[in-house]
Amino acid sequence: MSTPATYTCPYCRLGSDGSGTSCPHCGAPTDIRARVTKSGWAEQPPIRDMARIRFNRSTCQISGMYVPVAELKLDPEDSVYFSHHVLLHSEPSVQLDMMRMAGGWNRMLAGMPLIMMTARGPGHVAISADHPGETLAVPLPPNHAIDVVEHRFLVATSNVGYQWERAGVWYMTQSGDEQETHYPLGPTMDRFFAQGGPGLLLLHGPGNTFIRDLQHGERILIQPSSLIWKDRSVRMFLHLEYPRGNYWFSSARWQAKSIWLVLQGPGRVAVQSVFERPETVGAITNSSGATTQYW
Amino acid sequence: MDRIECQWCKAQNEPERTSCTTCGAPLDKKNLVSDSGWAEAPRLRDMTEFRFSNSTCQIEGEIVPVAELALAPGDSVFFEHHVMLWKEPQVPLSAMNVPGGGRRMLGGMPHIMSLAHGPGRIALSKDATGEVVVLPIHPSHEIDVREHAFLAGTHSLNYSFERIKGLVNILHGGSGMYMDRFVTQGEQGLLLLHGYGNVFQKTLQPGEQILVEPGGFLYKDSSVRMDTIKQSFKTGPFGSHNMYLAQMTGPGRVGVQSMYVHHGSE
Repeated sequence: MSTPATYTCPYCRLGSDGSGTSCPHCGAPTDIRARVTKSGWAEQPPIRDMARIRFNRSTCQISGMYVPVAELKLDPEDSVYFSHHVLLHSEPSVQLDMMRMAGGWNRMLAGMPLIMMTARGPGHVAISADHPGETLAVPLPPNHAIDVVEHRFLVATSNVGYQWERAGVWYMTQSGDEQETHYPLGPTMDRFFAQGGPGLLLLHGPGNTFIRDLQHGERILIQPSSLIWKDRSVRMFLHLEYPRGNYWFSSARWQAKSIWLVLQGPGRVAVQSVFERPETVGAITNSSGATTQYW
Repeated sequence: MDRIECQWCKAQNEPERTSCTTCGAPLDKKNLVSDSGWAEAPRLRDMTEFRFSNSTCQIEGEIVPVAELALAPGDSVFFEHHVMLWKEPQVPLSAMNVPGGGRRMLGGMPHIMSLAHGPGRIALSKDATGEVVVLPIHPSHEIDVREHAFLAGTHSLNYSFERIKGLVNILHGGSGMYMDRFVTQGEQGLLLLHGYGNVFQKTLQPGEQILVEPGGFLYKDSSVRMDTIKQSFKTGPFGSHNMYLAQMTGPGRVGVQSMYVHHGSE
């Protein structure tokens, strides 16, 4: 008989008995107060060293604080998939295999990993993103889909479906005769959706991570490369801002412009505190759907 | 009153100590060990001090840590010359006699090993995010370290380098042609390593095996056998993908780092 849920995790919103010091579904500490800024961003607390997350009949333990490692104890019935270069160590009993992937040529052109591996229990396998930051555990309810910026994906349970879609966010700049197309989110985004039952998705977030619920029609402007994931229901498009001024550097041809990504609710979004500013050399001559503001 | 045994290096400490006198590991915190037996290298507290011979070492900073050594007269440490951050003017430096210059050059290993002699202070930093791993080396104990991971060794350690055996191991093992080997004959020695990211250690039983990403390998007892194994995966009717992993066979300790350059797939 399962224990009735008495605690709802403010981060993954799943219930548990609240007896441990961390949420069994996403690893978030349960014994700290949720930290929410006045504007509504909730700081995702780092998963504590050696905290365990349960999925199906298996567990995942997060160890290390600078460059965390996700160590998965896989039941013989369970398997996970991941990009092959994140594998840190594996017990010989774990069955490693290749995952069938469609669209290899397009994936190569888009700079996405061509090889995805599967690991099937029994045994332990450890995954590391090989970069400083936080491991984010995103439990996916059945039939729920999220879009993840490329290269943030770490590992997913095998019942999580994986597709990739064009991000559809781009702009072209021209400087002299040179024309360049920029993809501030990358050309594609990963889409993950749970099939059949709840799934678990682990992502890597450089820096600190903040999450927010956008109401229907509510908009927020973010640096494009700070996005980690969003609910599928959240719309996104570019917003170009030109500051007011009579100086040469405030001209549209030069660099005094801001390129924002607009996220429009309803749905959840997660951003990271580490990002790259988009390239703004030259005038923007064309773009995907965008709003413009001249101040 | 009972003495406290350090869970990392097994040294005995006075009951009032909060960190180990031999390796600096916190004594008032439980050793963090994952379900599969990987122990996290102890996170040394900022300004933790520990002793070797008549000298002391203090670890400063937690993101890019610095090892500050207060050398007593008669004590010395050796290190790759580019890790030196600062030193007091009176600390004499000399070049360590390292045999096999031609082979070292071919193997991409440092030609110059510097020796700093006490009395005085010198500070070393690997100039990268990670952890300092302190390994006290007991007499007749041998330890193999991936090249360029070593930060400093004390004068009682003998330093040599071992050619990695087997062409497959050299080409696909991710550790280059050589590994540093450290051994001490008489007095206990102290070895400081720099691990990128976080460092984890597992003790393998005789015959027990573990597969490790070659770039993640950091150190092992010389009793642990390291082989590179190829894993082939079919990617289609005509295609296949090869991935190389380091197979470690016990008995002994294996250390890995969580930040590495992926190596060994084609």
